[in-house]
Amino acid sequence: MSDKNSGFNLIELIKRVVFADFVKGLSITLGYNLSRAISVKYPDQEKWVPYRRWRGLHTLNRDANGRELCVACELCAKACPTGCITVIPMEDDSGRGIADRVAETWRIDLVRCLYCGYCEDACPTRALRLGREYELACTDIRCTIRNREELLVPQPIPEAIEGGFIVRAKFERTSAGIKVVADLRDSKKRLI
Amino acid sequence: MPDITLILEVLLIIVKVMVVTMILFGLPLPLTWMERKIAGHIQVRLGPWRVGPHGLLQPFADMIKLLFKEDIIPYKADKFLFTIAPLLAMVPAFAVFVAVPFGDKVMIPFINKEVTLYISDMNVGILYVLAVSGLSIYGVILGGWASNSKYSLLGGLRSAAQMISYEVAISFAVIGVVMLSNSLSLVEIVKSQGNSIFTWNIFYLPVGLVWFVIFLIGSLAEVNRIPFDLNEDEGTLACGFHTEYSGMRFSFFALAEYVAMVTVAILAVILFFGGWNAPFDIPLPIPPIFWLLGKVIIFIYFFMWLRFTLPRYRYDQLMTIGWKVLIPLSLVNLLVTGFMRIG
Repeated sequence: MSDKNSGFNLIELIKRVVFADFVKGLSITLGYNLSRAISVKYPDQEKWVPYRRWRGLHTLNRDANGRELCVACELCAKACPTGCITVIPMEDDSGRGIADRVAETWRIDLVRCLYCGYCEDACPTRALRLGREYELACTDIRCTIRNREELLVPQPIPEAIEGGFIVRAKFERTSAGIKVVADLRDSKKRLI
Repeated sequence: MPDITLILEVLLIIVKVMVVTMILFGLPLPLTWMERKIAGHIQVRLGPWRVGPHGLLQPFADMIKLLFKEDIIPYKADKFLFTIAPLLAMVPAFAVFVAVPFGDKVMIPFINKEVTLYISDMNVGILYVLAVSGLSIYGVILGGWASNSKYSLLGGLRSAAQMISYEVAISFAVIGVVMLSNSLSLVEIVKSQGNSIFTWNIFYLPVGLVWFVIFLIGSLAEVNRIPFDLNEDEGTLACGFHTEYSGMRFSFFALAEYVAMVTVAILAVILFFGGWNAPFDIPLPIPPIFWLLGKVIIFIYFFMWLRFTLPRYRYDQLMTIGWKVLIPLSLVNLLVTGFMRIG
């Protein structure tokens, strides 16, 4: 019986002569060469839509009747680790909110915010939810402080969309700034 | 008083030289694009994408950047040698193309004159090619020495030793082809490889294949490409002999490397793959130069494919392969070829 560990091994020699390991490596890289690149062509052509739990820019929400859910209980301000939320309550019987207590001022400093989501967990009415907007860069330090009115405006990605994929997007230069507008129709999405 | 036909001949040669030189100067532009794109896609990414559509203007951007770089000559470097080293690397790479044929004869329709697609058909063509391509080693040595830097010197010496060792292997492969084709002239070598894929030199089994493998490994080491590019290795040797070069001088070295790669690809096609002969007798009127260019492009793709697949050899492994593996193999193969050609 020939010992496989002896000095002269015919199979190994044949593999060496035909460069078997080189051929295997080359076939792997050829496979990669002929496959689709996984680069996301952001921001010119594609954009990543986050999944639902993604902790992006905050949103203040309304209930089904259009009344503001925020009752200015200041629990979010107390839960925040950095103290970037400022809430000042006010009495209002006009039906703006679901109760007679609404927020006169609800201010958040985006530069200090960690996007940890403790404020969302603390909110008893689910008024404050972290949305999916992540393009927050701006040229002026003043736009890093967001107020109640801005945060009441719904974000471009509605909650119905499940997210977690890459869609085609358009890069738009508007007078208000640069926006990357995602095309959320189902047929154009890809994973990875 | 020289007559008009002589003047026209000289003019034709000058025009051909200028055309070839212009094409060779412009070749590294698409080649660098191709290399970076292939690198990207093999690494599952995109490569150059934004500079022009699909990154097609990237080589121009690189060229402009290199032109604007500061021209640094290191302190106490030998100024004269430092200046001429890139030229010594570049000019032999271009001079080789005098003997390289791109086709046989072509009839120009308007003047009704037959023009040959080579600058000169020397009957010692392949010898000229080997001799002149050996001159580019001077550029490497002088570049390493004149930079007054320890990394450059080491890189230059190692590079020169590597190139000399593998020249021997390439010369043996060429001798093998000469034995198979009975001529040193490159045009004759292509013509002797007939019209069908089975008469190409590589299919002259078993020796043709072995000569081709020896030639391929030798030429990869000759042009300092992976897996033999330890001397230009950016990681350990800080770019070897061209460490201290910047701007246009560096681009001359890069140009020399790309033109050398093209030379080696064309030589491999001419010597082993039938040059401009079609593989089968196809009734379509495809000009032979397209066959040559197609095969050369496949070879260039193969070199780049190898580059992004294999790791590089250590220097002692490199020298072992050159002297202890390729040369004995060449000698044995020479014997077998001699026996096979007795008939």
